[in-house]
Amino acid sequence: MLSDYIVMALRSLARRKLRSWLTMIGIFIGIASVVSLISLGEGLSNVIESQFDIVGTDVLTITATGNNFGPPGSGVTDPLTISQLEAIERVGGVDFAVGRIIEIGTVEFNNRVEISIIASLPDGERGEHMIDLLNFEVDRGRLLNPGERNKVMVGDSFADSDRFGKPVQSGSRLYIEERQFEVVGVLKKKGSFVVDSTIIMNDGQMRELFEVDSEELDGIVAQVKKGVSISKTKEDIERLLRKERDVKLGQEDFGVETAEAALSTINSTLFAVKLFVYLIAAISLIVGGIGITNTMYTTVLERTDEIGIMKAIGAKNRTIFTLFFIESGFLGIVGGIIGIILGASLAKGLAFVGQVTLGSGLINADVSMTLVIGSLLFSFIVGTISGLLPALKASKMNPVDALRS
Amino acid sequence: MNSDLIIHSAKSLFTRRTRSSLTILSILIGIMAIFTLISFGMGLSKYVTEISADMGVDKLVIQPKTMGAMPIPEKQLSQDDVDFIANVKGIKDVTGLMIQSAKIQPDEDTKPKYFFLMGFTTETEEMEIVLELMTVDLDSGRMLKKGDKLKVVLGYNYQLPNKIFEKSVRVGEKILLNDIQVEVVGFFESVGNPQDDSNIYMTYEGVEELLGEEQGYEWVMARVEPGEDPQALSEKVFDKLRKFKDQEKGKEDFFVQTFQEQIEMFTNIMQVLNAVLVLIALISVFVSGINIMNTMYTSVLERTKDIGIMKAIGAKNSDILIIFVTEAGVLGLIGGIAGVLVGYGISSLAGFAVGQAGYTFLKPAFPLVLIIGSLLFATITGAGAGLAPAIQASKQKPVDSLRYE
Repeated sequence: MLSDYIVMALRSLARRKLRSWLTMIGIFIGIASVVSLISLGEGLSNVIESQFDIVGTDVLTITATGNNFGPPGSGVTDPLTISQLEAIERVGGVDFAVGRIIEIGTVEFNNRVEISIIASLPDGERGEHMIDLLNFEVDRGRLLNPGERNKVMVGDSFADSDRFGKPVQSGSRLYIEERQFEVVGVLKKKGSFVVDSTIIMNDGQMRELFEVDSEELDGIVAQVKKGVSISKTKEDIERLLRKERDVKLGQEDFGVETAEAALSTINSTLFAVKLFVYLIAAISLIVGGIGITNTMYTTVLERTDEIGIMKAIGAKNRTIFTLFFIESGFLGIVGGIIGIILGASLAKGLAFVGQVTLGSGLINADVSMTLVIGSLLFSFIVGTISGLLPALKASKMNPVDALRS
Repeated sequence: MNSDLIIHSAKSLFTRRTRSSLTILSILIGIMAIFTLISFGMGLSKYVTEISADMGVDKLVIQPKTMGAMPIPEKQLSQDDVDFIANVKGIKDVTGLMIQSAKIQPDEDTKPKYFFLMGFTTETEEMEIVLELMTVDLDSGRMLKKGDKLKVVLGYNYQLPNKIFEKSVRVGEKILLNDIQVEVVGFFESVGNPQDDSNIYMTYEGVEELLGEEQGYEWVMARVEPGEDPQALSEKVFDKLRKFKDQEKGKEDFFVQTFQEQIEMFTNIMQVLNAVLVLIALISVFVSGINIMNTMYTSVLERTKDIGIMKAIGAKNSDILIIFVTEAGVLGLIGGIAGVLVGYGISSLAGFAVGQAGYTFLKPAFPLVLIIGSLLFATITGAGAGLAPAIQASKQKPVDSLRYE
């Protein structure tokens, strides 16, 4: 029965080839633009999420509140201190905690000066913990040992020749803030722009170089013990820091965040931007839908005779409705299939061109199964909704009038 | 002749009301989308032109190099640098701006917020440069003057209740800045974005009192002598300051730009973003063009007999062509008029909404060229889309057409 409907719908579409094609072009342009934009948008989201994958979800990040410009610790009026770090280490649920300073400084190599982020590697056991926590591994050379002076390890992006004109390797000599350092190792790519473009230096020497107070810290990361509630540990640290920093509840000048929370803030901003772009792209789908409605009205009009005859020989209103409804659904879904194929190839092509020309990992296309099935479903729905009114009109025709016209 | 044509096409469009109005709806949506987006792009250009006129083209900005878009650089320019620039031939006045972060609260019991603290000069001619660049005047109270130490002038938003703090701040009130009591002596007018409207302004002496002696400058602004070419002078200042600071070519830790260049950089980014959105929205206009084409093909088919009669009584191919192209153009024009009207409404609403959010500089503009351009574009899209169907109509053989049932 259903197959009869489908065969009839296909036949009638084939009868007016030009019109059917034009209608489908409208839909597939819309679907193609939505699919390609969404896959590029999701690709971008994935890259950004991977920035936060470097630490586990059971790690708490503690920062003093500043005006939120620049790296952690900048624009802060009352920085975190070593004694606060020591107090956090004593909190029951904390396995270990590491404090670090982060600065921005000049780096000279191959006669070029660039500005880079420089982060500290604490001395002793805390340094070992930090290497574990951030899961540092070297690509070439060796890891920097805690306490080692005049040596640094660098993120993966320094190995690119376009940063300084030639790649930084283990054994290279860099001038950081006009002081010479030897690179002992280049870290494996972490997929995070910040980590991959950071220089890691001994804590004590970094404080001398940037004239940072020996007590001051820009950020603390705390590893929560296995099996201990993360939110309880977070509350414990907050209570402790309120006491240490002498601030009242609700007036904290610091923040304790899980990696997930930090991610959700960024994601919500990105989501709003993506939604806006998708909405503008979706306008063309609405226009395509209007095209289907129009085509279906014309079809109904042209086939008034036919509808009259069908009704005269006993076709029910529902049968007529289903017939036209399926026809418009077809227009939608075929347009959708072509659109998905076009859109996905467009996105992949753009991502490829973008990566080759800009060399940026930011441009990435993620064509997920959900997106494919979702767009297919969506194009079918657009088709059927657009066909709803014309199909209703057809089904409600009075057989006598229809035959007479 | 022309009015005959238009009346004829209006009549034939009216005979197929449903189809015509659906086609018009589709072009309406497309034109509305691009009209709205472009009106914001044009509003932004207008804003930039206005502020550049206020700020004048006679200024240079000298800044330390910084990472990405971070406003606070790690290195600062010193008083020596400023004095040196002042002596470069062609420079009229120079002034430095301190940009730091400060904790601000109306009283001890209110949760503090963190904003930029700007320190500037009290010398009249130098202060003029700062004020011209800010493009705003004092809203209430008085300006900072020589000898002021623990006095502040605040950004506009502090005057509003529930904006920065629950209670609005008034002239004469004492507030806490980094836990030190200071007196509010005045407020600036609104700059138009929430960040700048939250700034805190003090004299150099005030900033040093708060944060310690020997503060450097994050921004140095210079006014060139009348008749000097700012572009040429900016290169000269760059070169001379490099030698003065004893830095090798290519290893400078600062840069010099004319104010014009800075504004252009900002505008370019915004215009590119706007252009991308307009491009995406253009897809929907394209789809609506396909809808018009479809409608016109159907129309030609339905009026095969009419065409035959017209040709039989002497209509030339070109007459038929013009009739159908005009009809399609009229469809486009009506859709365009409606699209501009709806777009105007949406832009005004959206402009009001972002204004409420504090971004008053994002205002749509509706110059005549935009309105006429949109109407022209809609008409051309319509006529262009109708071309292929019209050619088909014009080439029909009268005999075949008359015979068509």
